[in-house]
Amino acid sequence: MPNAGLRVSHLTKRFGSGDTEVVAVRDVSLEVAPGEVVLIMGPSGSGKSTLLLMLGGLLKPTEGTITLDGLELSSLSENRLPDIRLHSFGFIFQDFNLLSALNVQDNVAIAAELAGAGRKAAVAKAAALLTELGLGRRLHFSPEKLSGGEKQRVAIARALVNNPALILADEPTANLDSSHGHETMRLLRDIASERGRSVVIVSHDARIKDIADRVLWLEDGQFKRVVEMATDPVCRMSVERELAVTGVRDGETYYFCANGCRDEFLGAKAVPV
Amino acid sequence: MLRLAIKNLVQNKARLIVSVGGLGLALTLILVFGAVFDGAKSRLTVYIDKAGADVWVAQDGVETMHMSNSFLPATVTDEVKSVPGVQEAVPILYATDIIQANGKETLSYVFGVPDNAPLGKAFAIVEGASMPGPGEVIIDHSIAASSGLKVGDEVTVLGQMMKIVGLTSDTSSLASSVAIVRFDDFTKARGGDNGTISFVLVKVSAGESAAAVASRISEGVSGVTVQTREQFAAQERKLVMDMSGDIINIMNIAGFLTGFAVLALTVYVATIARRKEYGVLKAIGTRNRLLYLVVLVQALLSVALGLVAGVALTLLLSEVVPRFNESMVLTLSSASLLRVAIVSVVIAGLSALLPARQLAGLEPVAIIRRG
Repeated sequence: MPNAGLRVSHLTKRFGSGDTEVVAVRDVSLEVAPGEVVLIMGPSGSGKSTLLLMLGGLLKPTEGTITLDGLELSSLSENRLPDIRLHSFGFIFQDFNLLSALNVQDNVAIAAELAGAGRKAAVAKAAALLTELGLGRRLHFSPEKLSGGEKQRVAIARALVNNPALILADEPTANLDSSHGHETMRLLRDIASERGRSVVIVSHDARIKDIADRVLWLEDGQFKRVVEMATDPVCRMSVERELAVTGVRDGETYYFCANGCRDEFLGAKAVPV
Repeated sequence: MLRLAIKNLVQNKARLIVSVGGLGLALTLILVFGAVFDGAKSRLTVYIDKAGADVWVAQDGVETMHMSNSFLPATVTDEVKSVPGVQEAVPILYATDIIQANGKETLSYVFGVPDNAPLGKAFAIVEGASMPGPGEVIIDHSIAASSGLKVGDEVTVLGQMMKIVGLTSDTSSLASSVAIVRFDDFTKARGGDNGTISFVLVKVSAGESAAAVASRISEGVSGVTVQTREQFAAQERKLVMDMSGDIINIMNIAGFLTGFAVLALTVYVATIARRKEYGVLKAIGTRNRLLYLVVLVQALLSVALGLVAGVALTLLLSEVVPRFNESMVLTLSSASLLRVAIVSVVIAGLSALLPARQLAGLEPVAIIRRG
């Protein structure tokens, strides 16, 4: 993956200096491939948000490099970052953060317009995307009239409207009930697998593990544990590769939640590993 | 972003009404004061404008009627008459006086005009005679009405009791009014003929220009200052402007500061209320200059609406006020409108400064994480 996706090398962020210096992120390296969903978890104050903000070009790292699709972001001047944020990143926030004065369609269209699309094209793009996300009948609604799940779908549409390479989601399910949380998770998964976007999620919500390809545990500014996830091909449950039951078919390794699923999948040809 | 600016502005109707209403009232303050002053100014020179004279001849060095005394030898009239291009030359007497009636006193410009004079006589008569006889006076009808007087009643003019025989319209202002008496009565009232007059009113012959005739009189008659009607009226207005300049400036500053305070506060509050939204816009890649533009457009739109409201209110007042007080004329001049429009743009620009500073210092990171 030399030029595609996100590559983070030896990233460090220090705040303050001398006795008051705090190292929020310490020598972190990470690669996220197109179509991959990476979940970053960790206790409060572990540096998750600082890392996310650096990935999104909202905070300059003290050391290290961030490269997105071959472009080194960390070396860019402040003046160039707004354009990069508009075109290369899609942000999804915990509080949805929609613009209350604009209707649903304009909330999405404004991001396209800011990126240089004409009004007509921006509106058409926004309408198509929102319709695709199941909000075709809500285009002219005020955000206030939407449910939490709908608001988050509008925010996702806004994040996607400029076809960014990387989606950064900050606690995207924190303000949603279980059903809307799942809906949002499914959408994020689809964005990665169907649209080929890299998705980095920062969250405390362990349910998101189900859609993640990898779960990174950040503590004291460092990745302490990396969990590779897989989906059971029978029951579609998300399982940790390290702890899962595995089986091989036609030379490929599969991960299962339990022996029953493995046996069902492999049948008579079962080759337990 | 223009759409966002407009939507942001109109979303909170109460705030918009307070902002535009407050600003409209502040601009109305400036406009109305200017209109009252312009109205008074136009009435101030009504006699100069409508007495029929193309040229005014005064004592040497006297360029205004207000705050001046002009004494000319009565013989000057004949000298003026002999100047080529002069068709008529009429001597008049003039004094500022208090007209008293029914316990009410009104400052008035009193003119003494010869019987059957072709120039200087009363104009815009709405009731009664156009030329006073012995012991008679013509006054403004709104002054008469406010004192409860009518044709046939008596008033004290130049210390003499005189009978009202005619009423004129549009000859009073907030500061004064015009009263016409006979030349002889005026002479008598000031203690007899001392051989002096105040001004000579000149009508130029057909085909002659007032300026050319004025120049000839100036050259041919000694001890006089000669001005065309327009020059004399302009001098009069300039004098009053100079005298009232400080008051006008104070009122304009008061209106400006009030408008500025109202708009600056509402634009600032509106920006602060949407701080988080602006933070989000910055996070997704909106440049500061576009956010400044949003705030500036909001301020300019508020000002434009406030100006429309202010002009509408001033026009309404200019229609309504004279119905209750005819002496108070409100004239909304284009110069006044231009001045207020410029003031409005300055207010909008200044009002957007503080919110723009807020936006410049806005850290999207902090806003977003704070939730």
